[in-house]
Amino acid sequence: MTVRQPEVAPPAAPPAGPAPGPPRRRVWGDGRLSALATAALLVALGVIWEIGSAAALWSSEILPAPSALFPALRALAGDPRFWADAGRTGVEVLGSIGFGGVAGLVIGVAFWKAPLVGRIFEPYLVSFYAVPLVLFYPVMIVVVGLGTPSVIILASVMAAIPMALNTWVGLAGIPPVYLKLSRSIGCTRWQQLSRVALPSAAPFVLAGLRLAVVYALIGCIAMEFTTAQAGLGYRIRYLYDSFETTPMYAYILVVLTVSIILTVLLAVLERVVMAGRSRS
Amino acid sequence: MTTARVATDAPTIRVGDRRHAAFLGSIGLAALALIGWQIASGLVFVIPAPLATVRTLLANLTTGSYLVDAQVTFQNSLVAFLLGAVIGGAAGLVLGLSRWARIVFEPLLIALNGLPKIVLYPVLLPIFHLSGAKVVMGLLFALFPILINVAIGVRELPPVYRKLARSVNASGWQTLVHIILPAIRRPLLTGVRLSVSLAVVGVVLSEFFATRRGLGRVVLQAYSSGDYGNMMATILLLVSVSFVLSLLLWRWERRMR
Repeated sequence: MTVRQPEVAPPAAPPAGPAPGPPRRRVWGDGRLSALATAALLVALGVIWEIGSAAALWSSEILPAPSALFPALRALAGDPRFWADAGRTGVEVLGSIGFGGVAGLVIGVAFWKAPLVGRIFEPYLVSFYAVPLVLFYPVMIVVVGLGTPSVIILASVMAAIPMALNTWVGLAGIPPVYLKLSRSIGCTRWQQLSRVALPSAAPFVLAGLRLAVVYALIGCIAMEFTTAQAGLGYRIRYLYDSFETTPMYAYILVVLTVSIILTVLLAVLERVVMAGRSRS
Repeated sequence: MTTARVATDAPTIRVGDRRHAAFLGSIGLAALALIGWQIASGLVFVIPAPLATVRTLLANLTTGSYLVDAQVTFQNSLVAFLLGAVIGGAAGLVLGLSRWARIVFEPLLIALNGLPKIVLYPVLLPIFHLSGAKVVMGLLFALFPILINVAIGVRELPPVYRKLARSVNASGWQTLVHIILPAIRRPLLTGVRLSVSLAVVGVVLSEFFATRRGLGRVVLQAYSSGDYGNMMATILLLVSVSFVLSLLLWRWERRMR
């Protein structure tokens, strides 16, 4: 029996990006500096953008000034079509996160229990790591039809893959003594999984969830952008095709803001959970 | 960051000499998928059968105009990947080495990585025009995996490596080539693997949107004209190219210690 490292880890972890991981020293000092610097960078960018627009370095047809976007954003807030688009994208993203997250968790546990099955699937999961799956979208439309279901199915698969790989790696990394202990005190299999194994793998599961959310969002928007009848991604394309630049930028800004908020929320969630762990 | 480190140190999934079983299983799985495809094509008549698709693909590959499209897509992907690798690698190096760069840019980079970047395509179009915008989009897709992996790899280098470099008076370049690059080869290769297929995806998604030539345009045109055989064949080509590339890189990566 050769002992092998779980090769799933590298593919799973990297796109996780700089994961706000377990205990860091100086978190607050650096954190505050980071927040300040980020705010300063964003403000500087906004100022350059505004000045450039005012000085007519580029035409407002191509890139409208930020000050022109605020009225457009306000107009969006009162526009029922915008809320219909946002609602559809929201349903798709939430549905994909739900289905993909649960499926990924179950698959990760199954791979842990039956490593051979995991090994069999591994090359495919690693190669179709989330984003390239978008290429199958035209096939999905032909088979399932143009509409929410085909987006949700594909985005769920995209979300499930990082979730499954991360869960698997996390579970495989549990110190064996935890499992031995749980057996020796007579835990049922369910108790072993829910009280010992999953909590112990929590950092990986959470990292997987964060990726699942990111990929669900990226997938849904990208697919809508390719072809759809509604949704934020679709509307950006539609507005582009009809030369409505200012509302298009307002939509783009909304999508960017929502995804940044999601990323930040998940990072905070992860940090809170990790802090709770290290305290207990 | 921590995720990556913990993971590589993590205990093992024991399969040992069942490795061959896993390999055979993977092939079996592909065969099953193929059979599933065949059955599905029998049930739903719009899906062309696997054999017919391969035949279409082969016929396509002897057509001059299709080859031009394929060449455009793969060339653009290659350029996007190379630029992404160079820029991402350099940025990752700076981010890994300098604590200040990390403090200032890390949150923005994390946020950018999580964006659905394709929505920026309409922004890129007027700036880089039809021919350049898709390369830039591919670059944006390919950039982050390398950037993040290099940054993490460099940050987690044991400090003694850099002390050694200083003690032998290595120049910056020598330190980079002889110490840093070999030490981070694994995360670097992981980044390269992800970036290669992402560059293809970025370029093809852009071609779905607007372009003059390229396989993405072929797919969408075939879709809208109901030529599903051609559509399937082109998707098969794109998917198999990125699948084979990333599989080869993955196997190389696994062998590397």
